[in-house]
Amino acid sequence: MSTQSCSTENSSLLPSFGRLVRRPEAGSFIGMLAVFLFFVFAAGEIFVSPAGFSSWLNIAAEIGIVALPIGLLMIAGELDLSIGAVIPASSLMVATISGHFGLPEGVGIIAALSMGLLIGFINGWLVLKTELPSLIVTIGMMFSVMGLTLGLSVLITGSTSASITPSELSQFLLGQFIGGMFQVTILWWFAAIIVFGYILHVSRIGNWIFALGGDRVSARNAGIPTEKLTISLFMMSSLAASFVGISQAMVYQSAQVAGGQAFIFNSIMCVVIGGVVLTGGFGSVIGVVFGTITFAIVNQGIYFTDLDPNMGSIIIGALLLIAVVSNDTFRKMALNYSNKKKS
Amino acid sequence: MKTLNFTSFIQKPAAGSVISFVAVIVFYVIFGGVELSNLFGAASWVNFAANLGLIALPVGLLMIAGELDISIGAMIPAGSMTIAVTSGHYGLPIEVGIFATLAVGVIVGLINGILTVRTSVPSLIVTLGTLVAMQGIVLSASVLLTGNASVSLAAPDWAKATFGQLLGGSYQIIIVWWLALSLLYYVVMHHTRIGNWIFAMGGDKESARNAGIPTQGLTIWLFVLSSTSAAFVGMCGAILFNSAQVSGGMLYIFNTIVAIVVGGVILTGGFGSVLGICLGTLTFAVVSQGIYFTDIDRNWSSLIIGVMLLVAVMMNNLFRKMALMSAPKLKLTSEDKS
Repeated sequence: MSTQSCSTENSSLLPSFGRLVRRPEAGSFIGMLAVFLFFVFAAGEIFVSPAGFSSWLNIAAEIGIVALPIGLLMIAGELDLSIGAVIPASSLMVATISGHFGLPEGVGIIAALSMGLLIGFINGWLVLKTELPSLIVTIGMMFSVMGLTLGLSVLITGSTSASITPSELSQFLLGQFIGGMFQVTILWWFAAIIVFGYILHVSRIGNWIFALGGDRVSARNAGIPTEKLTISLFMMSSLAASFVGISQAMVYQSAQVAGGQAFIFNSIMCVVIGGVVLTGGFGSVIGVVFGTITFAIVNQGIYFTDLDPNMGSIIIGALLLIAVVSNDTFRKMALNYSNKKKS
Repeated sequence: MKTLNFTSFIQKPAAGSVISFVAVIVFYVIFGGVELSNLFGAASWVNFAANLGLIALPVGLLMIAGELDISIGAMIPAGSMTIAVTSGHYGLPIEVGIFATLAVGVIVGLINGILTVRTSVPSLIVTLGTLVAMQGIVLSASVLLTGNASVSLAAPDWAKATFGQLLGGSYQIIIVWWLALSLLYYVVMHHTRIGNWIFAMGGDKESARNAGIPTQGLTIWLFVLSSTSAAFVGMCGAILFNSAQVSGGMLYIFNTIVAIVVGGVILTGGFGSVLGICLGTLTFAVVSQGIYFTDIDRNWSSLIIGVMLLVAVMMNNLFRKMALMSAPKLKLTSEDKS
């Protein structure tokens, strides 16, 4: 079953201008550059100082860790909205187990990560078994996890928040500020970029993901273990979300029931600005990284300018619409240039 | 098919929502110790249902047609803010404010609709873009124009009576609007050609267009309808409470989708009913507001909603398969989307 050869060869690795424009990340790179230059001019020197960089890198790292697996899921043609509930759930889990009950932090972290894996498994399993759109399944999961988090938190600790004092080791690994301003999460994000870049663009699994998003039935017929792959992708996104929850608990030394909702749409926006097509089969890891950076620059850069902070949303919304419309055009170009014409 | 028996009942799109509605009330009575007379006498969940229902109906039609609109989350505060700024802050006649509010709805709907039909971008992403952009526009425009984020509005008596009075002291007038529009949507969806077109579009857009249905125009108008309805709900809220409500719109996005899906609409399109959407809305309202009448800790309401949604969609899926199996022509379920 698993021995197969996939013929979706990544032929566009050879550089040439025409090919470059047709790469999934071409548009997102231009967008990122434009946004960066805009804020350099609008905000001035402070924006290119370490403080300016740290402001958006910290935001980019947190969203980026979630956006990467969400990007892979979207390339495979699925969505995961439950991450918005998994982040606060795992944050509270760590804080309750290791803060409220005082158990070793390793126990809390392992419990939170296992919860992430379990939720991801249930998501993937439900999507496969019911053949329902993942949007609906993960909305159901989001509400359920939200309710469980709130209900259990009030039941166990009697409040909707919990505090934790991280040990020196977890403070060093997950919660420290390098140079006083750069969150250590940024390094974790870089590591995640390398891992997901390897999965999607080097390993065989990457080809499988593209094939899955392009045409599920053909992918299965070609011998790709589509069911295992789908479940693994959902598990990856939940795992990443619970990791972000843990690191938030360590950075802010407390956990809240609310929060995390913003991650749902923000991560989708990063991925889409990064050139991933929601209907699947098209996108790249570096594109998602560019999209995340673009989002974070707009989100934070606006505070360095004289503009009303709410204007940031307008820019992001406009960027998203420009990105999807131009990606649509780029993608049509890419498909037209390839030998196989797809309707 | 016309005989009233169990099989023909569960083949109706509304069947699942009837079962969900009854099941939720039975659950509350047994496990929550709720008194039915208290629950049915309460205005809180009916008001909640009317506000949600006015938006769920047009969004539900969009979902039957195979599209999605999440920009409504920004259109409710947008409608609220538009009327408060025009008629409250600038003191223009209320008619101008109402016109401006509906115009904002129409414009955003047109943008959503045109972008959706002109590109191959899924409407979820298009409306995500307009959602975020409109959020920014509403907040920054209100700060720029009025200098603060909350604007008060004093509507004249007739406008108050039409859009924002409390009947019997606690029932919002918007309930009447909801009932009237539900009836209108029912007639359009189930007794006119347009209704058939919408079902055909959701079932198979390509074939619908080949059959001569103006799919592009219809899609655009459905988007206009949903964002205008959301602006209308925001406007009624502003007139009722005498001030613009800027927050709270985001919750409507997921609440609307849950209400519609519990109401038996299939997200991939082509299946659903107006009665089902109304019942789904009522069910959602009973779960989220009715929990205050039970002994159950209200913190669990999200869990109940989540589980109910998952059970309801699986049940609806099963019923739909049964309906398709027993139809004279056996149709294979196409796996075109996700």
